[in-house]
Amino acid sequence: MLTLDTVFSFPPPPPPPPPTVSLVFVIMFTEVLVALALGGLLLFIFQRNRKQVLKTEDGWWGPGAPPDAQEDVSIHPFQIKTSAEELQDLYRRIDQTRPVLSLEDSQFNYGFNSQYLQEVVSYWRNDFDWKRQVEKLNQYQHFKTNIEGIDIHFLHVKPKRVPKETEVVPIIMVHGWPGSFYEFYGLIPLLCDPSERDNLVFEVICPSIPGYGFSEAPHKKGFDSVCAARIFHKLMKRLGFQQFYAHGGDWGWLVTTNMAQLEPKIVKGLHVNFAPPSKPGLSMVLSLLLGNRFPKLFGFNGVDIQRLYPCMEKQVVEPIKETGYMHIQATKPDTVGRALNDSPVGLAAYILEKFSTWTCNDFRNLEDGGLTRKFSLDDLLTNVMIYWTSGCITSSMRFYKENFAKGLYQPHSKMPVYVPTGFACFPKELMHTPKLWVKQKYHQLKSYTTMARGGHFAAMEEPQLMAEDIRTFTKMIEEK
Amino acid sequence: MSLDKLLRLSTANFSASLALLSLTSAVAIGGILAYWVFRSKEAKTIPIGHGWWGKGKKPLSEDDQIHTFTITTSDEEIKDLHARLDLTRYTDPLEDSHFNFGFNSTYLKRVVSHWRNVYDWKKQVAALNQYPHFKTKIEGLDVHFIRVCPPSRENQKVVPLMLVHGWPGSFYEFYKIIPLLTQNHDGVAFEVICPSIPGYGYSEAPQKKGFDSVAAARIFLTLMERLGFSQFYLHGGDWGSAITTNMAQMKPDCVKGLHLTMFFPRRNFKMSLSLVIGRYLPFLVGFTREDVRRIYPYFQKNVWQMLEETGYMHIQATKPDTAGCAVNNSPVGLAAYILEKFSSWTDMKYRDLSDGGLERMFTLDDLLTNVMIYWTTSSMTSSMRFYKENFGNLINRLDFKTGVFVPTGLAAFPNELMHNPKVWAQTKYRNIYSYTFMPRGGHFPAFEEPQLLADDIVQFVKKVGKI
Repeated sequence: MLTLDTVFSFPPPPPPPPPTVSLVFVIMFTEVLVALALGGLLLFIFQRNRKQVLKTEDGWWGPGAPPDAQEDVSIHPFQIKTSAEELQDLYRRIDQTRPVLSLEDSQFNYGFNSQYLQEVVSYWRNDFDWKRQVEKLNQYQHFKTNIEGIDIHFLHVKPKRVPKETEVVPIIMVHGWPGSFYEFYGLIPLLCDPSERDNLVFEVICPSIPGYGFSEAPHKKGFDSVCAARIFHKLMKRLGFQQFYAHGGDWGWLVTTNMAQLEPKIVKGLHVNFAPPSKPGLSMVLSLLLGNRFPKLFGFNGVDIQRLYPCMEKQVVEPIKETGYMHIQATKPDTVGRALNDSPVGLAAYILEKFSTWTCNDFRNLEDGGLTRKFSLDDLLTNVMIYWTSGCITSSMRFYKENFAKGLYQPHSKMPVYVPTGFACFPKELMHTPKLWVKQKYHQLKSYTTMARGGHFAAMEEPQLMAEDIRTFTKMIEEK
Repeated sequence: MSLDKLLRLSTANFSASLALLSLTSAVAIGGILAYWVFRSKEAKTIPIGHGWWGKGKKPLSEDDQIHTFTITTSDEEIKDLHARLDLTRYTDPLEDSHFNFGFNSTYLKRVVSHWRNVYDWKKQVAALNQYPHFKTKIEGLDVHFIRVCPPSRENQKVVPLMLVHGWPGSFYEFYKIIPLLTQNHDGVAFEVICPSIPGYGYSEAPQKKGFDSVAAARIFLTLMERLGFSQFYLHGGDWGSAITTNMAQMKPDCVKGLHLTMFFPRRNFKMSLSLVIGRYLPFLVGFTREDVRRIYPYFQKNVWQMLEETGYMHIQATKPDTAGCAVNNSPVGLAAYILEKFSSWTDMKYRDLSDGGLERMFTLDDLLTNVMIYWTTSSMTSSMRFYKENFGNLINRLDFKTGVFVPTGLAAFPNELMHNPKVWAQTKYRNIYSYTFMPRGGHFPAFEEPQLLADDIVQFVKKVGKI
């Protein structure tokens, strides 16, 4: 008969084996494991500390094949010129404009409002003095030099007065789209003149990205931000600088970041006001999902919460509303640029729409797009004229296609930045990046300043605030 | 354990399992019943609504007369065009870029040279006027249309058919197919009505926000009513497809048949699943071999390619006033913008050609006439706004969630922007009478392959009307 104990009974335990052999095996096994673990850990630490440097090859962007002759490394002074013909042509085209009324009650929500555009154009036609603006542009020394087959334009502003015990710090400042070197004209005197707060004066180099303004456009495919960075390094070397600081916003952010990745020993400090994450990592995603509930876990403060959430609206809907230009420029730049290079009014609408919406996206609900709240029409139109007179709109747009064409996971986007970095966080910037996200890429983030006001074109809009932050950051690095 | 204990346990289990089985089947049957009931309560039409799109306030009465209209031009118009063409500031294309960066500037110069020196707009206007044009005011807008009757009414059934164009096309796309449709096809001939969507060509542009495909559909239904048609057929592609679909959803009793060249399914889980399975087991999900050939590789064709080609859609759906400003002032810019689509959307491979393959299927004269319709009417900006009005409110659109129950004919052209197999189309179009795999043709089939398209429309109508 089956009973419980007959069913559930165990055989007696076997006698224990002799201790010697198994113990030796166990010890050996453990030792190997520990060794592997230690070795792995060391390798990991070592790997992390080994600073990766971005690699790049030389390029040639001129027409046809590179010549056999030695490269011309001379630097020529350059003056921006205009002529009666240029103005006449501009006015004829402005007068030929065929306006189309905007929908009733649409303000700037369908793009640049047609009725307000007529006002801007009227000022442009009758009051804007391009000759005077050209003189203003020429107040600083401009130069051109040929690098990798194309003429690179740049400003070189030396401080007029260097008081005793004041250091002269070289800095390269790179603009973006649809900006230009002119964005920095308000900032330059604040950096080049001595300040009461510190004993620094800056020597400013302000190039135009190839394809923008007075820099020649590349003739070959493939000119991306790394190529621009490499060319700007060559420029700085040609000017005799062994070490310098770099500042950038919009595309300038990426070009200067690439410069820091290419030659981390030469770029002493990197200051940016725009830093969209190039590689959304796990921590970024987690912080977005949970940051609302556990802000302290991710170092989020009130400003971060207010600017990141609600997630759907701010991280998805808003970018979709505002990136139509990016989509078409990254795919069909030659098509969209064609008309813009013929119609100055169309060009102005296209460019100035950004100066409205990217300064504050609430401006979309204003009849005049709030355009003259932070900028003067003279300044805005001078920037437009740089694009118009140089005919560079199409080549400026190609930069989008060249940068996005190879996909989002380029070597430079996966590589961190080891150069001391300062980040100026402006409240109305297109994309808000909390400290956690900035640190993912910029491993030596030395300063993160939450600015009181300002949007995407911060250097032009709030030059005082920007200058202060650049100075504070530079002083911090110099003192080390 | 004793045997009787075992038996008792198993009996208990048996009744337990029986109970469980009954419960699950009850739930299942209940669920199916509920689904069936819910499904039959699903809306079969969309509300007609109302609107008024003119300037300022709506007046007390509106002129509902139909006025004849003739397209005219003048020496000033042509001189102005030529002056602007001469002022063009070209930018050299990048070496070896063909049409991959957009419209190639070197080839564009050849097109413009033809436009400036050979193209005869006055002759084209005469050609446009070969059919009778009309205008009539509906909802505050002057709606333009052409109306072409068959040469004779004897010995044949005359069937009314409305053809609706899209972007960047116009009523002119149908000029090659109209004579084929008004012919006698074994006792059937069409009376063709071809309107311009408000904001396009000679139809007045809306002045108020909110003019979407549903509004256009309602206006075209009013037009057919005003013309005295109580029942008619519809054909559309591109925006025309969306508008005619809306018309069939609003008044299915009036729409005898709906014929489309571009159509979208109602995306659902089943569709996504079939996408994954269909590559390996096509017959399991209802794909034919031709479906498989056209859909896969899916990511390449439908995701990357779409991203590469929808920049225009993105900017037009968000900032049409900005995007339209320059193209409305530069005829060359306008031509590049429009003709780029006639290249890529006819065959994506044309992007690798220096001339974009533009003249392989079209003549420069035909292409430029379409461009001239946009140019002379200054309608590019308003045509772009249609994108914003339609995409602005995607989540709340009732017509997207509603099916189409009128007899439908679908013509699937191989180089259309996206291929939708019959099983997917059936999620929206519930009464498909014909689904034809066309042997050749892209996004502008009426322009490119008028005979093929006409044949398909005829066979569809005969099927529906049992003629």
